[in-house]
Amino acid sequence: MKDYVIIGSGIIGSLIAKELSKYQVDIMVLEKENDVVNGQTVANSAIIHAGYDLKPGTLKAKLCVKGNAMYDDLEKELSIPLLKTGGLVVAKNEKELDDLKRIYDQAIQNGIKGVSIINQETLRKKEPHLKSSLVAALDLPTTKVTFPWQVAMAALTFAKANGAQIKTNAKVTNITYQNGMFQVEINDEEWIETKHIISCAGVFSDHIARMIEGIMPYQILPRKGEYYVLDKRVKGLFQHVIYPLPNKKGKGVLIVPQTHGNILLGPTSTDISDKEDLSTTREGYQYIREEVIHLSDDIPFEEIIRSFAGVRAKSTYEDFYIKASKKYPSFYHVAGIDSPGLTAAPAIASYLIEHILDEKLVLKKHMNLEIQGFKLFHEHNDYDKKALIQSYPKHGHIVCKCECVTEQDIIDAISHPIGSDTIKGIKKRVRAGSGLCQGGYCEHLVLKIIARETNQDVTKINYASKNSNILNAIDEEI
Amino acid sequence: MKKDIVIIGGGAAGLAAALGAYDPSLDMLIIERGAMLGGILGQCIHHGFGLEVYKEELTGPEFANKLIQECHEKKIPYVLDTTVIDIEKKASFIILLSSIKDGLYHIEAKKVILTTGCYERTRGAIDIPGDRPKGIMPAGSAQRYLNMEGYLVGKNIFILGSGDIGLIMARRMTLEGAKVHGVADIMPYSNGLTRNIVQCLDDYQIPLYLSHTVTKIEGRERLERITINEVDQNYQPIIGTEKTFEVDTLLLSIGLIPDVKLFNHLKFDKHPITKSAIVNQHYESSIKGLYVCGNALHVHDLVDWVVIESKHCGSQAKMNLIHNQNDTLHKIDVIPKDHIRYVIPQLISFDEYSETIELKFRSTKKITEGTLEIIQHDRVIYSKKMKHVVPAEMKHVHLPFHMIQKDAPILVSMKEVCS
Repeated sequence: MKDYVIIGSGIIGSLIAKELSKYQVDIMVLEKENDVVNGQTVANSAIIHAGYDLKPGTLKAKLCVKGNAMYDDLEKELSIPLLKTGGLVVAKNEKELDDLKRIYDQAIQNGIKGVSIINQETLRKKEPHLKSSLVAALDLPTTKVTFPWQVAMAALTFAKANGAQIKTNAKVTNITYQNGMFQVEINDEEWIETKHIISCAGVFSDHIARMIEGIMPYQILPRKGEYYVLDKRVKGLFQHVIYPLPNKKGKGVLIVPQTHGNILLGPTSTDISDKEDLSTTREGYQYIREEVIHLSDDIPFEEIIRSFAGVRAKSTYEDFYIKASKKYPSFYHVAGIDSPGLTAAPAIASYLIEHILDEKLVLKKHMNLEIQGFKLFHEHNDYDKKALIQSYPKHGHIVCKCECVTEQDIIDAISHPIGSDTIKGIKKRVRAGSGLCQGGYCEHLVLKIIARETNQDVTKINYASKNSNILNAIDEEI
Repeated sequence: MKKDIVIIGGGAAGLAAALGAYDPSLDMLIIERGAMLGGILGQCIHHGFGLEVYKEELTGPEFANKLIQECHEKKIPYVLDTTVIDIEKKASFIILLSSIKDGLYHIEAKKVILTTGCYERTRGAIDIPGDRPKGIMPAGSAQRYLNMEGYLVGKNIFILGSGDIGLIMARRMTLEGAKVHGVADIMPYSNGLTRNIVQCLDDYQIPLYLSHTVTKIEGRERLERITINEVDQNYQPIIGTEKTFEVDTLLLSIGLIPDVKLFNHLKFDKHPITKSAIVNQHYESSIKGLYVCGNALHVHDLVDWVVIESKHCGSQAKMNLIHNQNDTLHKIDVIPKDHIRYVIPQLISFDEYSETIELKFRSTKKITEGTLEIIQHDRVIYSKKMKHVVPAEMKHVHLPFHMIQKDAPILVSMKEVCS
């Protein structure tokens, strides 16, 4: 029997698991995919927003501003990368200047620190590659960029090191309630008993909610966002997150420097009916290109190495829906977490625990604060490298040369407390295959290392999900 | 460790550069990241190599073995399983290497030749819309899995891009029992050699869809279906021309890009078309003492041309070392003009030992009959009639060095003869 079952291992579930694991409770995180942190958390802009575009007084506005500040502590606590880029919302003409002033007022109302409107000349100095015709910008110094996968992964690793159980390939297929206990059915075959459920199932949270609620408090309206990724050779071309003025559909198409040096262009914003539709579209590609050239004439489109799409869990409730179920008060909805969900995530976790959970929690006497991260060999200083390579000679073998990943980095990722044995899982953990050649050179090497380390035949190694093996034996009869 | 010449990459270009640079008095080293010499030739088990260099038709491994044998005979030193992590230019080059056997270590070199080959363009570079399942990969990766490891990546295949690798793989996958449903190319012509279209597609009744591209990819986990459309003159899909294919694999043969990773400390002038170094007639880059040749410089049609170019590059690096030519030489630009996509070299240096200049170029379009003109000071200094010039085939001409004057750029232009 569990005290808490957390459904979903994205950024929300992970950070809730991390916070809860500090208390004397028994936790289990359920993830339907074969790897943790596999949905919206790995397909978004990676921005820690300031919160300028949010309606004052909403939970979104409060938790965004609070969450933004909490990332500075998370940076140390979880050793996560945090780029203090600052953000610039740019006005294209005099007409837009009025709108800029309006969001300035809104930013002040939301309690964002350090905001100011800067003129054309200052903007030009800050970002020489922006269009010279832009008239002014709202300067948002608290805007930052992180690596969302790593935040969630570090949080889960912390939770696991402090007793939380993490179960992948565990799709919740039913929930029943009797005698003060929930029975959570997994994959139509297994039952887990728990006192509480926290649902952070992203775009599928309404699906989970429907298992227990009579009247649905919200509906998920999935919205797709497509992106382009520019190679990290472009590092430094833009220093800030560049926003156009927000429109009805959201923040618009942005220019976002990433922690690994790449630059993202996007997202689009399209309402879709199929929650699992992660396809990119010709229209999407066109839209990003058309929009982003209003911001800069210097976008190096020839440096595009990849495109992807993510689905945001927008809801009919509009604000974040973080409430106990009226029908079953020990079931907690953490739903409708679209933008600024990543930013608000740490604040959502503490808000849930401090204000929503109907239980007095007692802190653990001993906490394990040392967690195993994913620091790559090349990220160490020269002195540490010498020592590491002596103990682990396989650091001498560069497997992915685009991202400088060693064989030992890959072995460590496979055997990590939350390891993986898929090509995509390893790519997420150590970036092998994320670079210029997109795995053209290293995929076969990674595949063989996984097979060797996990004692599997190479034909059993999957690209990502179950049944996505890359290699087939040649039929002998042919 | 100090070396006179270090060659980075032990494929065809690296081996040939070493042979070209060979001199018993010079201290050389070839650095290869793989487990054996020969590079990509090892996976090119089809024949068709060697007619220019060895005057006989060889398979890739046979061609590689000949080069390796020659290097062995000359006892040219090499290291395997070793990756170059960084290069820094000081008085000489400081190269940081890594291997399991020796860990991290530095070597110093007077001259460096980059023969790192090229990498394959991926889906991300060409905006193919749709899902992102497993089953989409560069044709060269599939070739490696099949010819080096002995595994098929799929049973029902479609190939986008009719470059030579795509064509060769269409035949190879068919021979191993897979069904190749077709090959599409966005261009109205194939970028592969004519003999490959005949021997790899026609002979196996594999359809070639010219002026077509992939417009949709379907399949959440594994590839299930692709759609192709015909494209108009601006390469935009024409609505209503959709054809779908139930396939589990889409191989991409959509181009190769020189693999000259810009090391942190080493940034040479690059050419926007070749995406590699700007070089002079000795294949020396804007960084003195750093040479680039083979597919790392520009993508060749045939390994024979790679070998000829790289031998020349090696010999020039040696000459430079012997002549100890350290002064900055006067240079002029070589500029591609009408119907010329790029010319190698992009610069001509005025030294004391050059006799002829080899100019290599590709056209921007198919030219049935034309005249190549080399112009300096608005005067044609060299012209040559050429037939059947296509972008897929690299052309070259030799120009006597004394014809060129020091004081103006030379222009390379192709005049189309209207029939």
